[in-house]
Amino acid sequence: MPLHDVGYRPWQGKRSGSLAAILVIAATGIKLAWTSRWLRRAVFFAWSPALVFAGSFFVFEQAIDEGRLGSIQDRARVGSNVDGVGILGRAIADALGQTDAPPADRHETRDEEANRTRRAVWSRLMLAFMRSPQAILLAIVVGLVAPALVSRDLRAKAWLIYFTRPVGKFEYVTGKLLILGLLVASITMLPALALWVAGVAVSPSIWVAVTTWDLPVRIIVASLALAIPTVFMALAYSSLTAESRIASFAWFATWAACWIAHASLTTADIMQRAQAENLAGEKAQSTDPSNAFDGGFSVEDAPRRSRRSNVHPRGPGGEIGETLADLIEGRGPPRGRPLAVRQFGWLSKATGLDDTIDRWAWISPYHSLGVIQAWVFGIERRSQAIFPPLISLGLVSIVSALVLWWRVDAPARA
Amino acid sequence: MQATGIVKRYGQRTVLDRVSLTVHPGITGLVGPNGAGKSTLVKAILGLVRLAEGGVRVFGLDPRREPHAVRRFVGVVPEDECSVPGLSGVEMVRYAAQLSGIPGIESLRRAHEVLDWCDAGQERYRAVETLSVGMKQKISFAAAIVHDPRMVILDEPTNGLDPIERRAMLGRLTTLARDHGKTILVSTHVLPDVQSICERVIVLAGGRVRLTGSIRELTQPAIPEERLEVTGPVDELVGRLIARGIPARRARPLDLFPSAAGAAGRFSATVETVMPGDEAHEGVILLQLSTPEALAGMWAEVHRLGVRVSSLKASCRPFEEVFLEALQAAQASPTESLHAAP
Repeated sequence: MPLHDVGYRPWQGKRSGSLAAILVIAATGIKLAWTSRWLRRAVFFAWSPALVFAGSFFVFEQAIDEGRLGSIQDRARVGSNVDGVGILGRAIADALGQTDAPPADRHETRDEEANRTRRAVWSRLMLAFMRSPQAILLAIVVGLVAPALVSRDLRAKAWLIYFTRPVGKFEYVTGKLLILGLLVASITMLPALALWVAGVAVSPSIWVAVTTWDLPVRIIVASLALAIPTVFMALAYSSLTAESRIASFAWFATWAACWIAHASLTTADIMQRAQAENLAGEKAQSTDPSNAFDGGFSVEDAPRRSRRSNVHPRGPGGEIGETLADLIEGRGPPRGRPLAVRQFGWLSKATGLDDTIDRWAWISPYHSLGVIQAWVFGIERRSQAIFPPLISLGLVSIVSALVLWWRVDAPARA
Repeated sequence: MQATGIVKRYGQRTVLDRVSLTVHPGITGLVGPNGAGKSTLVKAILGLVRLAEGGVRVFGLDPRREPHAVRRFVGVVPEDECSVPGLSGVEMVRYAAQLSGIPGIESLRRAHEVLDWCDAGQERYRAVETLSVGMKQKISFAAAIVHDPRMVILDEPTNGLDPIERRAMLGRLTTLARDHGKTILVSTHVLPDVQSICERVIVLAGGRVRLTGSIRELTQPAIPEERLEVTGPVDELVGRLIARGIPARRARPLDLFPSAAGAAGRFSATVETVMPGDEAHEGVILLQLSTPEALAGMWAEVHRLGVRVSSLKASCRPFEEVFLEALQAAQASPTESLHAAP
């Protein structure tokens, strides 16, 4: 028997509205999800790549601060690593090799050059950060949380609790989306923003924050681009079954199957291209015996291998016949495939250095998201590369949202 | 709450067929066989289903157009066990309060207050899915009334409750209706519960309202009788009353529990409270006291024989009998309403 049983009393306080209901659903959902040890581990682990990337920011800014930008650009030109920061150092080097050059009639000051290269390097590092570790971790974290969000409510008949109260479909769905959105933000947006803050902190001047003001905006937009299709798709799976295990399987199977399909089709393309090149080589050999093609890489055949006409011929060690003075004097940035493309293919793709158009990207959510993020960071600008993944992700989001909207209150309507 | 000519179809099947009814403040029982349309009617009140025809007004509001406003005034105890896995009892009630618009810490205070009233004890701190059926029912009831709704809809509220808890639950419903002016709609199959707490009743069968009216009117026998419980020479008293010209007879078990004589042979919960006692000394007499003289004559004979009177009250038919009659009539004439008492 309670000591202070006051009986049943009326309550006449001011009632909160729909927004409060959304926040309550989100807060309770996060609280319940956070009880999972695996989720806590995944979120903790999701922040660790930021430390590695922060090291790269430090090395790059240190080089600028010590006036060694020209030196690392020189090293970049010959394909060397930059100051021993591992593969990310090579990404920096390659990024330096692909910065947009100013117009030929305009001479850049050292500060302007530093700002331009900084923007290029930071953007590519951010893209690499958000695409390689974070997008994969996102799939894992969403796969841990999302399948149970709606299916558990269906199984425990919790929809009776929601839809007999002043909670509509909009509040329910928005609350659930917010749970996932906040978790996704905690592993993508927040570390990336922290990385930007760290970059500003290790840069020579606080004014770097002003010159790179657009990067936090791009990070937020890229995180949203990452979150919207994935969150809708995961919740749609969850709403289709009362068994969260089935939804979880469907989620991971989608990522894996689409990845495998993408890899298979891309490999088929590469093999087809190689076959065509071999045929062309054989044809050239038969028509001009003096210009024998030995299957290796020679200075002479470099322009033919390149997809752009202004590519400088390069050997295994880097660009040939190009100096830092060329860059500074606006004679155009090197356009060939940098060394890292061949040595670290995944990194080059992640940083947007591999500028081949991935024509099968739209098949795989991971690759589609990568293209869209590259677009958001201003690295990918070609419409033929952007539109297929954009349409694919847009369709996935719309269909998932419709399924979710239709399914969440289906038991209440039955 | 007022429903006017509502029709609800699922595909070709008509679940509610031109249902019109009014639920007044107080306790109203909603009874009917399985598949009668009770749950669909509740969904219609909450605005969860789209009606083919007709409309519902709850406190003057249309649930389809203003579902949030209606649900703010209504609390629901569903028949099915429902919970948010992982939440404790008190967290569950608090969650319900917050979803209904009670803010922050006030929702926690209110949850504890209502759980105290429901006698939930320390069990409230355990995860809901680990609680007993009866405790879950209490949590569900607390969650339904935590936001002080003007109308409470309960679907089988005494499911899984032991007799003591059942009585306590019915007492709480009576308190809510009598002391707090709530409108309570109880959907149940336990007809003695309906008879003991409800003021009005609605019988649904085959998607139609078959019977509606006050319990008092519906259970009134065709010829008004009084029911006299006595201890003493019962048969002698009956003889003397008849000699005085007062129609009287000693009640037999079948008079008291007609349902027991039926094919189903079901005994209701009232059995334990009015079972006749020893043949010679205790008994129930059914008599017609139509005039003050007859009443005075009865008291005179009681006094003369030294009979001890336990109670004297108007006799009524068990509601179960009324309900079964309504169902039989519904089967005989599926489109007709049997009785529509005001």
